[in-house]
Amino acid sequence: MTDLREVTVGTGAGLDTADMVLNIGPQHPSTHGVLRLKLVLDGERVVSCEPIVGYMHRGAEKLFEVRDYRQIIVLANRHDWLSAFANELGVVLAVERLMGLEVPERAVWLRTALAELNRILNHLMFLGSYPLEIGAITPVFYAFRERETLQAVLEEATGGRMHYMFNRVGGLKEEVPAGWTRRTREAVGQVRRRLPDLENLIRRNEIFLARTVGVGVLTAAQAAAFGASGPVARASGLDFDLRHDEPYLAYGDLDVPVVTREAGDCHARFEVLLDQVHVSLDLVDRCLEMVDRITGPVNVRLPKVVKAPEGHTYAWTENPLGLNGYYLVSRGEKTPWRMKMRTASYANVQALSTLIPGCLVPDLIAILGSMFFVVGDIDK
Amino acid sequence: MGVPGEGLAKGLAVTLKTMTRRSHTRQYPDVEPDLPPRSRGVIALLEENCTVCMLCARECPDWCIYIDSHKEEVVVPGAARARQRNVLDRFDIDFSLCMYCGICIEACPFDALYWTPEFEYAEYDIRDLLHDKSRLGEWMATVPPPPPHDPNGEPSKEETAAVKKAAPR
Repeated sequence: MTDLREVTVGTGAGLDTADMVLNIGPQHPSTHGVLRLKLVLDGERVVSCEPIVGYMHRGAEKLFEVRDYRQIIVLANRHDWLSAFANELGVVLAVERLMGLEVPERAVWLRTALAELNRILNHLMFLGSYPLEIGAITPVFYAFRERETLQAVLEEATGGRMHYMFNRVGGLKEEVPAGWTRRTREAVGQVRRRLPDLENLIRRNEIFLARTVGVGVLTAAQAAAFGASGPVARASGLDFDLRHDEPYLAYGDLDVPVVTREAGDCHARFEVLLDQVHVSLDLVDRCLEMVDRITGPVNVRLPKVVKAPEGHTYAWTENPLGLNGYYLVSRGEKTPWRMKMRTASYANVQALSTLIPGCLVPDLIAILGSMFFVVGDIDK
Repeated sequence: MGVPGEGLAKGLAVTLKTMTRRSHTRQYPDVEPDLPPRSRGVIALLEENCTVCMLCARECPDWCIYIDSHKEEVVVPGAARARQRNVLDRFDIDFSLCMYCGICIEACPFDALYWTPEFEYAEYDIRDLLHDKSRLGEWMATVPPPPPHDPNGEPSKEETAAVKKAAPR
């Protein structure tokens, strides 16, 4: 009995397996919210991926049309709840540009300092949650310890821990309390001193490297094609940072170093985030130095009813997660006629449809987490 | 790659270092958290200052303030005619809707509304989060004095008002 005989069992014939359609989400812990991914699987391998968005659509743009500019700040700081300050900033910059307002210098520097503090808070959240998603539970405690330190100074100045509500058209809501710059400097110093704890735990950890290096490679061309921006695009070697390329606020005087990586994989994206925290800590220090030197008001006295003159403008800012733009069309009323948002996460998750096909299911979570998005920012 | 188990050793070193430090944990119900005076916990109402101008209710982005009032005639001795005065009947804030933006407080021209860092008003039923003027008034006792401003900036409006009052006319 040496000759082999081939037997066909069943109707499918051989080792062919049928493709399976798998929904990840809308209620899945790894998607931090309600993003749904419709996957077609061939065994463990993903054949295609379609991100389905809109489960958390709250109609923010429509609501903007029936709110005055101060009320818009309330809504605008909520779409990406991890970068509330940066979101407010875009709105007031757009209105100020339309009105031709000049913001006092002290307010400009304070805004820059607060925006960078907000960036650090946002990045620390992802630096903690991303390792958590792929199985390392410890870093999140260290990340949150640092977040708490910085949140304390932000709460002292603004009264809020998440939704700061501190920007106003023409400047800031009010002056910071006496001694705030000193306490902020101390907090920044503490975070800088303790950040190596987090880095030692995770940056070169071999399990973390095994899960992330070479996984989910996004090329610079793909990133550009999908309109990806922020840390996700910079990890692919796309050297684009509005703080450097089209400075707003006081960034023109700061000469922001742009953190980039060439690899474009999950680890590169994580490293960009980590290095950006260091850059932002330095920027906060330099802003505070200027704040201590400049005297004067932090806002412009405006009439009770603020009306933007007829016209349109587009204000974009480098939010922690990428480009955030507001296209403001005003017909001279106290509410905008239309205010369109361009959010960072929305563009960034579109790249998932090219990034995920071909990868294995366990890598999927690693890739998804490394795209650093907030679902509220996708669905608006 | 380095020595096998290097990541584990590094992780344990960080853990060991942290173990020797004091923990940050505060035993909350026994130890009160120290919150900054600007902390937006709840909105307190100073009823005497309210003139029922309705600005707060109109400016609120989600209209969670409910105000009812009636007019009363006040006879002032020596005056030719009786004066009319607004009397506040109802001032409710629905904290299940409130977005804690503080626009009402900013909009109030007579300083009748204040932020306080008080936060212990959780309820089991969402309907119980509608608080009336007596409850909002109780919170007035918890309103902290505003912090002094950075000397590089403009002084707070409370300070300016105090200086103006103290100045001889």
